[in-house]
Amino acid sequence: MLELLHVNPSSGEPIYRQLTEQIIHLIVGGQLPTDTVLPSVRQIAAHLSVNPMTVSRAIQQLVDQGWLERRRGQATRVAANTPKTTASPEALLAPQLADVLANARQLGLSLSQLQVLLAAQWQQLDSDEK
Amino acid sequence: MEQDALLELRDITKQFDGKTVLNGLSLTLYPGMVVGLLGANGAGKSTLMRVALGIVAADSGNVRILNESPMALSAKTKATIGYVAQQPFGYEGFSVAQALSLHRSFYPNWDQALEQDWLQRFDLDGKTAVQKLSIGQRQSLALIMAMAYRPKLLLLDEPVASLDPVARRRFMADLFDLALESGSAVLFSSHITSDLERVASHVALMKNGELMLMRELDELREQLRIVTLGHDSLPELPSSVSVLAHKGRTLLIDGYQGEVIADAQSCLPLNLEQLFMELHP
Repeated sequence: MLELLHVNPSSGEPIYRQLTEQIIHLIVGGQLPTDTVLPSVRQIAAHLSVNPMTVSRAIQQLVDQGWLERRRGQATRVAANTPKTTASPEALLAPQLADVLANARQLGLSLSQLQVLLAAQWQQLDSDEK
Repeated sequence: MEQDALLELRDITKQFDGKTVLNGLSLTLYPGMVVGLLGANGAGKSTLMRVALGIVAADSGNVRILNESPMALSAKTKATIGYVAQQPFGYEGFSVAQALSLHRSFYPNWDQALEQDWLQRFDLDGKTAVQKLSIGQRQSLALIMAMAYRPKLLLLDEPVASLDPVARRRFMADLFDLALESGSAVLFSSHITSDLERVASHVALMKNGELMLMRELDELREQLRIVTLGHDSLPELPSSVSVLAHKGRTLLIDGYQGEVIADAQSCLPLNLEQLFMELHP
């Protein structure tokens, strides 16, 4: 699963948070089914060339939140009962939506104008896929 | 932190020819820290390291390195400190293997397997004469010489500038191993902010001989924001927020906790390069 993980250290966003968000998305999106064994902290850190403490922090946070589980002496796995409340599409999209809204307001768009733009993009994507 | 500091600088001041190079600087390093030292040329980064090591004496202030005074280091303690200066380095007339052999004799904890491993990785041939090495190769050799005995404290002055990206990344992985497995602390200066973003647990930012910031990197990313204001005047700010720089409609703030900033048209996180640029207008 290492190839599924990417970080951008220069984005200004904490690396541990980039990692937790990605892993949650992978779990919710089904790429990481229940019981998938995660690579070790060392392997992830070496693959991404980031500080292992950062990776360890991300994994710990996911264990605390119930996304991953770690039984004594065993590798970390995707938990059987992942937290459904935070896993809703709404919750996962919220940060990006907030960014879009902030930008739209800065540009002086109204809600209806934004909705028009969104619908246009949606249709564009639909026709691109056909 | 409960552990003992590996390096402690208190209120260090240093002048050269009447020019202040370090101005009341304090910095403490604990085990496990990988501190990226960032600052413009002439900000005092090299002098800070030289003062820490006792190569030059501070005019005032107090230095403790591995619980000893840098001006009276015991041989035993010296053998647990690693340092790579900006300009290496002697050993002219030696081959790489001869230079390493001499160097090795000073360090009882030298790890021969590690040395061989790194020689191979950096593609250094023991038979090559030291003066025939390229700058990047010399830097690699200097790193091997400073790290093969797994020092408790490692000071690196622009150690990777001449290494290619692949060698840099591998070298950084070694830094982690050292810091985390051996409980060592690393202080390294670099202008390559993208490296610092990956490696550093903490960032120390120097300007004009003073320490402007010394913070955990993730904390810095969460609490620093660059704000574009609607007007030139400074709006009323939340009490947790402090101003690092304010020029025209651009505002750099610290201590941000997700509050609403009045008159802000945008409020964005920034990376180290942006931070550096904003602090050096």
